[in-house]
Amino acid sequence: MSYYFTILSPTDVPLFNIAFGTSKSGGDGIARFRFPDTAQYMNQFIIHSSLDIVEEAQWMNGNLYLKHVDTYPPASAYISAFLAPSGARFLLLHQPPQLPSTATGSGSSSLLGAGFSASALGGGSSSRASSSSIAANPTSPQTEEAVRQFMNEVYEVYVKTVMSPFYRQGMEIKSPVFRTRVTAAGRKWL
Amino acid sequence: MTQPRHSAMLSISNTNPIPIANDKQQPPSTQIQNLASTGLRVPSNRKTIYDRHLNRTRNAELSRAGFAFLFAEMVTYAQRRVTGIQDLERRLNEQGYPLGLRLLDLLYYRTMSSSTSSSLSSSSTSAAPPNRPLRILPLLHLIHGPLWRLLFNRPADALEHSVSPDTPNEYMITDNDPLVNTYISVPKEMSMLNCAAFVAGIIEGVCDGCGFEAKVTAHNQPTEMWPGRTVFLVRFGESVMEREKVLERAGVK
Amino acid sequence: MTSPGDAAPVRPPPSFSPGVPRVASKTRYPNQRRDSSPALDSDLVESRIASSPPQPPLSATAAELPIRSASPYARSVRSSTPQLTRSSLGSPTDGRFDGPDDIRSLIIRSFSPVVGVYASVDTDELVRQKGFQGGFWELIRPFGENVPGKIVVRDSVGASRGWEDFGVRFVDLGGHPETSESQNSLSQLEAALEKQLESPDNPLGGVLRPKDFLSFPTTSPLYKSFLRQLLSVETPTPHETFRHPVASVIVISSRNTSPLETLRRLYADTSSGDRRQPEWVHPEYLRYYVLVHDEDRDDITESTKLYDQMKRHFGLHCHLLRLRSNQCVVTDDDSCQIPESEWLSPSERLSGRSEPLVDLDTDGLPYLFESDVTAIKAFVRELVAQSVIPYMENRVTVWNDQVASRRRGISGRFMSMSRRWAGFGSGSRSSLIGSGGGISGNFDLNHGYYKPDVPEAVLRKMADFAFMLRDWKLSASTYELLRSDYANDKAWKYHAGVHEMCAVSMLLNPLAMPGKTKIDDINQMVETACYSYMTRCSDAPNALRSLTLAMELLKSRGGSGIESAAKWAMRAMDLGLVGSIGQALFSERISACYASRNPIHGVKWGSRHRKAGMWSVLAADLWLRLGNPSLASAALEEAERLYADIMDSNGLFPMPDMQTFVDNLRHSVRMSYFEARGLDIGEDTAPADPLETLETEETSEKLNKRNHRKSLINNPVETGGFNIGQEDDNPANDDFERA
Repeated sequence: MSYYFTILSPTDVPLFNIAFGTSKSGGDGIARFRFPDTAQYMNQFIIHSSLDIVEEAQWMNGNLYLKHVDTYPPASAYISAFLAPSGARFLLLHQPPQLPSTATGSGSSSLLGAGFSASALGGGSSSRASSSSIAANPTSPQTEEAVRQFMNEVYEVYVKTVMSPFYRQGMEIKSPVFRTRVTAAGRKWL
Repeated sequence: MTQPRHSAMLSISNTNPIPIANDKQQPPSTQIQNLASTGLRVPSNRKTIYDRHLNRTRNAELSRAGFAFLFAEMVTYAQRRVTGIQDLERRLNEQGYPLGLRLLDLLYYRTMSSSTSSSLSSSSTSAAPPNRPLRILPLLHLIHGPLWRLLFNRPADALEHSVSPDTPNEYMITDNDPLVNTYISVPKEMSMLNCAAFVAGIIEGVCDGCGFEAKVTAHNQPTEMWPGRTVFLVRFGESVMEREKVLERAGVK
Repeated sequence: MTSPGDAAPVRPPPSFSPGVPRVASKTRYPNQRRDSSPALDSDLVESRIASSPPQPPLSATAAELPIRSASPYARSVRSSTPQLTRSSLGSPTDGRFDGPDDIRSLIIRSFSPVVGVYASVDTDELVRQKGFQGGFWELIRPFGENVPGKIVVRDSVGASRGWEDFGVRFVDLGGHPETSESQNSLSQLEAALEKQLESPDNPLGGVLRPKDFLSFPTTSPLYKSFLRQLLSVETPTPHETFRHPVASVIVISSRNTSPLETLRRLYADTSSGDRRQPEWVHPEYLRYYVLVHDEDRDDITESTKLYDQMKRHFGLHCHLLRLRSNQCVVTDDDSCQIPESEWLSPSERLSGRSEPLVDLDTDGLPYLFESDVTAIKAFVRELVAQSVIPYMENRVTVWNDQVASRRRGISGRFMSMSRRWAGFGSGSRSSLIGSGGGISGNFDLNHGYYKPDVPEAVLRKMADFAFMLRDWKLSASTYELLRSDYANDKAWKYHAGVHEMCAVSMLLNPLAMPGKTKIDDINQMVETACYSYMTRCSDAPNALRSLTLAMELLKSRGGSGIESAAKWAMRAMDLGLVGSIGQALFSERISACYASRNPIHGVKWGSRHRKAGMWSVLAADLWLRLGNPSLASAALEEAERLYADIMDSNGLFPMPDMQTFVDNLRHSVRMSYFEARGLDIGEDTAPADPLETLETEETSEKLNKRNHRKSLINNPVETGGFNIGQEDDNPANDDFERA
């Protein structure tokens, strides 16, 4: 499972980005997306496009954690959302590793990033990662719960950041301690 | 000063002065993860704001004198080079606004992390974290109850809706004796001034943070019993009213 | 290729004009942000939808109408009489979405009844003299695609409805289509698209796409062409009867020396001779006899005499068609160019004459005398209105009574569980009783088809007839009836087809506005159809067809169907059913799906413009990789339109990676655009450069400019006292220095 986590301001400006991989079930914590390195912009496009759904769900559901809100099927990218009360959006893109067997040989579809990294993913690591319950099914209750815990932990660190008088709403969060904390939360829960 | 305690201000002043790991102290261009190489000023006990617990101070209280001096200084600061009363109130409002945004996050964090606490129980007493307000009334209840308790240790005194059909977007929150005005006596020539404009700014920040475009002003409405009575007039924007209609049709509470 | 010197100044493709002011800055509140245009748009859309005429309740309509006789002859003049009460009703597709040319109508017209054409040697000879090498079939083929005037069809409950866009498809009964074709028809489709893109003066590849006044993008012509070819697969298959002939036209000419004998022999050929249809095609279909009279060489009195004789022998399904036998050339006074056939299959397009060769008169589209055109049009109208439609209506009624109603009744439901055991009892038509020999019902496992006279096949044919007559309510319920039968028999291709058409019928039925659950049902059927086609039958073309139909019709339904529509399009891409051009087309289509979803009135959510914009950008990227900068530019322009209110006041994306990607894409598109024009890039890009650097400057500082609140008070943070970081660029903030 690979993750791309981002915090967006209410005007969609990214305040914080981080990509990481699962650390569960022997994962090494390194993100391996299905896009080639040259196509990492896809993560932002997918996240950005999911805002259409987030904005709709935001007013239909008063929870802070909105669970899995959107999917981008061509790359099996799943988006979970958490809304900070003051308007910041925490969005987590999670993508199960591509199993070598599912890499259907449709070369043309790879143009959209679906069929790229079958070879890049070593068979060993991906199959191990996929055996964990979280990676197996991105919409399972276990996954939802793990993401919720992750989001709550990030929210705590975020509140601490926001409380600093040197931080203004809408500023990029550059603190390395913040990054370390988010990474730790990812390692702990995802 | 028999009751010189004020909890919310403490929580802010407590976290504020230790902004160690903040980005402004590193050159913005070199964003390097390694703590040692960034030249960050880390306190000798290696504790950053991220190592402090946000709830430790939730029940701590602050000297009312300390708060009064701080607020007096803020009014003085805002008064510099103002063009008039309206300008002064605008500045106070703008000082309060970012505070409202922050308080909102803190408020929800505290309810989430200890949902057994009854301090925010006005909206729901269940263990589940409170919902974000989606409609105007829950938002106003949030301000009237939990926010006021966080700031002043008691709920606000009244919540009213404008009866005029021309202004359905106006709501009023009343505080009979605003804490911020306790030690302020306004000169005669500035009798219109209400320094609770600062609190109005906080309310505006909360409304805006929740996605309710609003303009909030503070007005003197003295009565016999409450000479310092202040009414906070909340005027929601048109988009909010439109959304209310849509949400009402959709059955969202 | 013109040289840069003498060419008119090159207009850059639209998306390159960097100075275009974007829509006003994004604030968090839509009413401040935008003028009233979205509301205007949705109002207009609503009014357009509302302008489609209300349909009378079916029951009331049915009550006024006399009970119809089952015989087609009794009212064979009905359709052409002008005082039809309901002919003033528009067809349900009129003005509903994109006008008469829209995708929905295209899909409906693609399922037109097939009419076989079998002409005698002397007739083909005569027509060849006129310049049509393919014989009589080639002559009349284009005229069947749109029958002039309104065609009135009655549905199973007796309600009439007029259709402006009814058509039939003429096929050559003689030429047996090669069966291997369907296997590689997808690659042929891709090749045909490529050919279309490459042909130099093809309007399809052009930069400009017409936009209607609402600036809703219309469907790209290339996509329409793709859709038409996808739906034009001509090979008949056992599992559906749309390509089985409903009727066949048997033609002789006035030159024939033994006309009646020839007609009998031609008939014999079609029923038992070498023009016999495969044995899974129902052998009973309408025969229509035509006498072609040679106006230039033969005597009309003789022909009239012969025609009367024909009518005596063959009944009323006869026509005397008066044609001139001389070849018409463009210089003749009353010459008319015949229309190009709309429904060409990919293979025909590949081998066809899309590029006129040297001599326009002989190799381009041929010409006809105006009198011939009028005669052929009248013939086609009479054939369809007075013979084909009544015949089909009649068959539907008969089969509905004899087969379907038994199944629908209570006993029928029990029977469907143990069909074999009950059979169809003492049906009035013994041929309808299943042969009952096989272990699994009537399905012939060895050959993989049902015999045409068993109930399963008859019901399918009846449903297809109802479908072609646009009685989607009846067809949907009939398909639904069949789903379990085919599953029990493990007749997977039938199974897939019946799920597909059931979903399509439900989506086409204008009276049933499906709610969420209905959409879920439909999605389930599409899923099943796709799975059966792909996994059980490896039938990629049909899988693509079902996904595409589902996508288009869900799209035209709007609302929550949009999401499903996009999902099916993505599925088609994911399964690798479309080639690289198809990928780009489908990306554009997904974008169009999302773009067609409008925000809820009064609030800012509900639209899918970010998704639509993303897919347009992806499409632009794909077009560029395919080496087609003009289409890439068009897609990019569309993306910018969609993103307009997402981007900030500088016209920039909030997300840096997106901005970089789009900037690079824009740049590459411009490069290859100019390269394709053979222009010197250096001098042409020079004037644009300052603007570009301006843009990058804006990029670098945009993050600092954003702040949280954009509401009533302007920029409280910057004018307030709390921003240490910005003293130097914010003169209003000098309090700190003074303090």
